[in-house]
Amino acid sequence: MTEHTTIDGDEYTKVAETDDIDAGRGIAVDVDGIEVAVFNADGEFYAISNRCSHQNAPMCKAGEKKINAEHTWTESRGGVNADECTVSCPWHLWEWDLQTGENEASGQRIATFDVAVRDGDVLVRV
Amino acid sequence: MESSIRRLDSNAEVPEEAYDVEVIDMDFHVNPLEEELRPYIEDERALDRLTTEFGMWPIPDKWDAAFAISEGNEGLFTQGRAETIEDVEEACEKFAIDTPIVNCALNMLPQQHHPVLKNAVLEAGNSYMLDHFVDEGVPTALSISKWDVDHALKELDRWGNEDNVVAAYSWFDPREPWGVEAFDPVFEKLESLGLPLLLHGSLAFWPQHSYVGDEMLTWTEVLGFDWPIHGMVNTVNMIMRGVFDRYPDLNVVFQEAGHWWLPFARYRMDEFYEMHPEDIQITPRKFADGEHYLERPPSEYLRDNIYVCTQPFALPRRAGEARSMLDLSMASDTFLYSSDWPHQTLDPPTWFFRNRAFSDNEPLRDAILHENAEEILRF
Repeated sequence: MTEHTTIDGDEYTKVAETDDIDAGRGIAVDVDGIEVAVFNADGEFYAISNRCSHQNAPMCKAGEKKINAEHTWTESRGGVNADECTVSCPWHLWEWDLQTGENEASGQRIATFDVAVRDGDVLVRV
Repeated sequence: MESSIRRLDSNAEVPEEAYDVEVIDMDFHVNPLEEELRPYIEDERALDRLTTEFGMWPIPDKWDAAFAISEGNEGLFTQGRAETIEDVEEACEKFAIDTPIVNCALNMLPQQHHPVLKNAVLEAGNSYMLDHFVDEGVPTALSISKWDVDHALKELDRWGNEDNVVAAYSWFDPREPWGVEAFDPVFEKLESLGLPLLLHGSLAFWPQHSYVGDEMLTWTEVLGFDWPIHGMVNTVNMIMRGVFDRYPDLNVVFQEAGHWWLPFARYRMDEFYEMHPEDIQITPRKFADGEHYLERPPSEYLRDNIYVCTQPFALPRRAGEARSMLDLSMASDTFLYSSDWPHQTLDPPTWFFRNRAFSDNEPLRDAILHENAEEILRF
């Protein structure tokens, strides 16, 4: 059953519990047909479109461990940069601002969504 | 109204429809570790030199164009590193790739200078692939040297008739192009074996010791344009020097050489050739054979003997523009899908299921995704 909460007059939908999303990783949910990726950036949660505008990659895979990562120089396919508050795409590393949805190099923007955390629940306003 | 919410847990990273279509990936890289290749170095003298601190492929003495990538040279491993069949299968499942044509990505070999050591590493790579992929039933493109025709023939003798070897893999680079007559024994052998020649971009392009090469400072210049320019040069060189009149059944595939230059080459070759064809008779093959002209207009060899891999596709978003470019490029006869996994220019087959140029034309989609490959690979 879908759980809703009203915050400051806006309706939020529970998409996960905070423990469901590891630091540096994300999940994807479909809310009324809209794909939303929710990321945990060192305890801060952000929601952004799950589709990179470049080639439609699923952003929720950002931060996924590479195959044989121990034999490469970096661990993951793209990932969350908590200091910069960005996430880079798992396919081609396009970097998206988690707060504004902007890719600085191209000027393109993808959707972002308000997030609230209440009692261990991650809530998204779609 | 009650809203619906659903957790998306699928491992698939491309549209579901992609799993309903056969997808052959012409360029899937396997990258064994050096310690995995060492047991396959047969000559002890070579092995001794290849286990110095320089390893099997010394780092070049200039900064690499991949410094544009936030992971630096790791652009080569943006998706990971496949060493075994299981690794390949795991990667392919995400992208709906049914049949990866695997190669041992020794793309740095052409820039090395030592002929004995280069050949030793190339042989080791092939032996590794024979043991771990060919013998296990995986369609594989094995490597032949460009720098040593005799060695290329020796390697083709060693494994050219093996089942599951579906192509020969080599490189185009800034050195002599493939139209040169010295390569004829290789073409003759490939034709007799029924193997296409896959020519991959070589890392020899990255900072070149030349006036032009050294002024190419960006990823876009080097990887975006230097490779396609040399792919085009090699194509025109092979056609105009009569390679395909002498070896009409030879199929040549350019990998990572771009593809949208085909309309330019198609019309420009015919225009120039038909205006002034009198020098064809003094190109070495035609001169030796006493022939005056090419047997067909140049563009017909482009359609029949040359293939180009599509990665990265960079398809115009407007379907009408995409259709026109595909048509002018003779894509239904010349384009082959490739992913380039695991590199930074990875190209999952999303284009074929998101652009109306393909949803309106499934025969064209199927030609690029598998039919053209099935025609030329030795399955």
